[in-house]
Amino acid sequence: MEKLLQVEHLSVTFDGPAGTVEAVRDVSFDLAPGEILAIVGESGCGKSVLCKALMKLLPSNARTGAERLTVDGADIRSFGERAMQKLRGRVFSMVFQDPMTSLDPTYTVGAQIAEAVLVHQPKLSKEQVRRRVLELLALVGVDQPEARAKLYPYDLSGGQRQRVVLAVALAGRPKLLIADEPTTALDVTVQAQILDLMRDIQKKLGTATILVTHDLGVVARAADRVAVMYAGRIVETGTAEEIFADSRHPYTWGLLRSLPSLAAPGQPLYAIPGMPPTLSPPPKGDAFACRNRYALAIDYDQAPPMFRVTDTHFAATWLLDPRAPKVDPGAFEPDTGPAGAAPRHAPPAGEALLDVRHLGCSFRLTKDRSLRAVDDVSFQIRAGEIFGLVGESGSGKSTLARCVMNILRPQSGQIVYKGVDVCDPARARAHRRLLRQDRQIIFQDSASSLDPRMKVADIIAEPMAVNHITPPRGTLREEAAFQLRYVGMDPVYLDKYPPELSGGQRQRVAIARALAMEPSLLVADEPVAALDVSIQAQIINLFKHLQAEHGFTFLFIAHDLAVVRYLCDRVGVLYQGKLVELAPTEELFARPRHPYTKALLAAIPIPDPRRERGRPLFSFDGTCLGAQSVFAQVAPGHFVLGSGEPEAAT
Amino acid sequence: MRALKRLLAFLISLLILSAAVFWIARLAPGDPLASYYGERAEKMSPQQRAQAEADLGLDRPIHVQYIRWLRNALHGDFGISFKYKTDVWQVIRGRAGNTLLLGGLGFVLIFSLALGLGILCAWFEDRPLDRIVCKAGTVLSCVPEFWLSLLLILIFAVYLRVLPSSGAWSIGDGGSAGDRARHLILPMTVVVAGHLWYYAYMIRNRLLEEVRADYVLLARSEGLAKRSILFRHCLRNAIPSYLSIMAIAVPHIMGGTYIVETVFSYPGLGTLSYESARYQDYNLLMVLCLLSGAVVILCNMLAQAVNERIDPRIRARQAVEEVSDRG
Repeated sequence: MEKLLQVEHLSVTFDGPAGTVEAVRDVSFDLAPGEILAIVGESGCGKSVLCKALMKLLPSNARTGAERLTVDGADIRSFGERAMQKLRGRVFSMVFQDPMTSLDPTYTVGAQIAEAVLVHQPKLSKEQVRRRVLELLALVGVDQPEARAKLYPYDLSGGQRQRVVLAVALAGRPKLLIADEPTTALDVTVQAQILDLMRDIQKKLGTATILVTHDLGVVARAADRVAVMYAGRIVETGTAEEIFADSRHPYTWGLLRSLPSLAAPGQPLYAIPGMPPTLSPPPKGDAFACRNRYALAIDYDQAPPMFRVTDTHFAATWLLDPRAPKVDPGAFEPDTGPAGAAPRHAPPAGEALLDVRHLGCSFRLTKDRSLRAVDDVSFQIRAGEIFGLVGESGSGKSTLARCVMNILRPQSGQIVYKGVDVCDPARARAHRRLLRQDRQIIFQDSASSLDPRMKVADIIAEPMAVNHITPPRGTLREEAAFQLRYVGMDPVYLDKYPPELSGGQRQRVAIARALAMEPSLLVADEPVAALDVSIQAQIINLFKHLQAEHGFTFLFIAHDLAVVRYLCDRVGVLYQGKLVELAPTEELFARPRHPYTKALLAAIPIPDPRRERGRPLFSFDGTCLGAQSVFAQVAPGHFVLGSGEPEAAT
Repeated sequence: MRALKRLLAFLISLLILSAAVFWIARLAPGDPLASYYGERAEKMSPQQRAQAEADLGLDRPIHVQYIRWLRNALHGDFGISFKYKTDVWQVIRGRAGNTLLLGGLGFVLIFSLALGLGILCAWFEDRPLDRIVCKAGTVLSCVPEFWLSLLLILIFAVYLRVLPSSGAWSIGDGGSAGDRARHLILPMTVVVAGHLWYYAYMIRNRLLEEVRADYVLLARSEGLAKRSILFRHCLRNAIPSYLSIMAIAVPHIMGGTYIVETVFSYPGLGTLSYESARYQDYNLLMVLCLLSGAVVILCNMLAQAVNERIDPRIRARQAVEEVSDRG
């Protein structure tokens, strides 16, 4: 069959102030019409650069070289901007990660789709364009297209916006759609809908798709073929079934093992040790060698070629050389963090450290409209407990964390911490020293929560310095070094600035800063949401380990259930500001009661293409949330928001 | 309700300004009688001086004077200019047209030239044209206006003798349009050259900021040409902030115009303000300060209103940010 896209020995380098970065190194692949290829890899592996290189959308400091780059029969290596303009939109088009920013905020979505239609068919009449816009909106599953076309991007939800972006991309009837992390910025329950939509479109229009993602779960649901990228190279490629059932590259094993949904309950998560290498210049030999427990001597010296496994399955690892020792990926031992995670004792049954009573917090949107971000939420956290709070964006979980930390003042309800009502300004002021030192918070985005102009040593020591605490280990600097080692980082980083660190390292610094105060309560607001899977597992393991050592009480906030399963003793599920379910973790996973919890659980992708693809979507429209809001106990310690009548056991 | 609040804030600001100017002017050294009586003031005996001061009401405590001034002002009577001995408004009316011509035309020129230059620089980002404009702009906007004025006067009026060095029209010539235009060239050049670059640079950077946005990438990937992306998308996103910046720019340009007027002895409000402050012409000074202050405050309010009106996102975004969990 004629190939739609053929790429041979494509390389992309960037000239930067710190030297040349080899972002994509010698990548070859092809794509048949109508095929869905997933390119999987962690951030910085070059997958986005590869996509932009295909469409020649890279900035001017990038240099691209290839032996072959053919799209739809045309060799585009020598094409200039003008020639590319004719291909873009008609032969291939692209969908980007963040639907919040990839639409022009000043035009209605209808106008933006119409613009994309007119680029390639400028002769259409107004009425024809209008009909085509509505047709496209209907194609991408936007209901009431007539009304929606007149709205501005900010009127739409993230999922709706991503659908509109898809409509724009499909306006020129492209043969190839490149989707760069199309679901990463979306809520878990919306994610699966968009993936199904993309498969649908592929079936209806026969559009070939390159789906770029860091999430293997996403791949299982949508892709025919998979290419795994690491440090600028494709290290393994094969059909989805081959990659999930019979992967051969140790990096692919690591990625699969890091998926939280695969971890057995109570077992530490698997984390690939170390961090991806820098690519300026790339390391000698196999770039993965230093993180690979099966690395052979030759790995450090010579990059492995692509070994053939089947006609469709290739992997670049010396382990496939006939002379290499046989290894069994099943015997993969989990990396358990610095000192091995302590076995988890039963959830402590002690006194409540934090008691949240009927908390309500709302924001005024306009003169007469306000939003109840947190609506009558009550729960207790016992001393030494790890409490997970799960909810999608807009569920009020960050608002709740901010109320607990006295960053926001709720309109109603009480938060009692160690017998002090922290919502009462006078009481909080009287105990401000205790409250300030005793409670610490870690934010999601470590890049913006650490001052970029402060050294790591000063960042970690700052809370001690401002609270005039004598450091237990001599000077502030020694204390900072100790705390840094404690979170698994070398003290050489003391004199670095946050922008010089990776995301995982920055989050470790944020943890060290919080722990330096020896808090009794640690609040972490989505601390791992911005991290890659393998790093995510490292940080969660670290949290578990630190909690066992310190014994602090931990309020852990996340947007998906898979992450909290290993870490938390009890989990509360928030939906639109209401606590809909609260139960011990295993009880919640085994016997979810609330329909929303069920939907959330169903949205966790299963990394098995055969099972994942057939799985129906479990959607939750929120209709059962109404006046009948009784928070009732259905089993010991298991509370559900519902009609109040004990329902039959499921 | 909101408009009422704004009007109140406007009036209160003016009241505070008037009090401040009133006090500072009377505390500053100088002899107000000199501006009223001219050289005669020097020859007066102490009794005559006291009498003269009593006539002008200058012998009372400052707060009493202020309250009297305020009461008169509220009745529409801002007093007479000590120097010109006519109603202050009459004096101002004679000069306002000149300033409006210089400042207003200057503003329009700055506004449109900066927009064009900014777009050009954004289009040719990092190419020679862009670099030259940015470098030249940095140098020119650092040059003080009075120095640039003197330099231009030296070159064009003293050495080359092609343009007049001062005034708004030639003496004897009743102010024909051509003559007035010739007198405007040099001051106008200084006003525009001093301010143009900053705003051109600002629109360039705003445009480039937009060019880096994701929606441009989407527009490019659907095959849109660079020109339509720049004009249809980027410019539209950049214009609201440009408008509000330009509204704030009015007072700056007005200040520049005052200085330029003084250097070129151009008979406008700038020279008048300078004279009234120099010669303690209290009533005139008060009105000029209040007038300038009102323009500044109005422009700032306008900028705010423009921001809120033109860009509905600002209101929507504020609301969204408050609720958005992910920040």
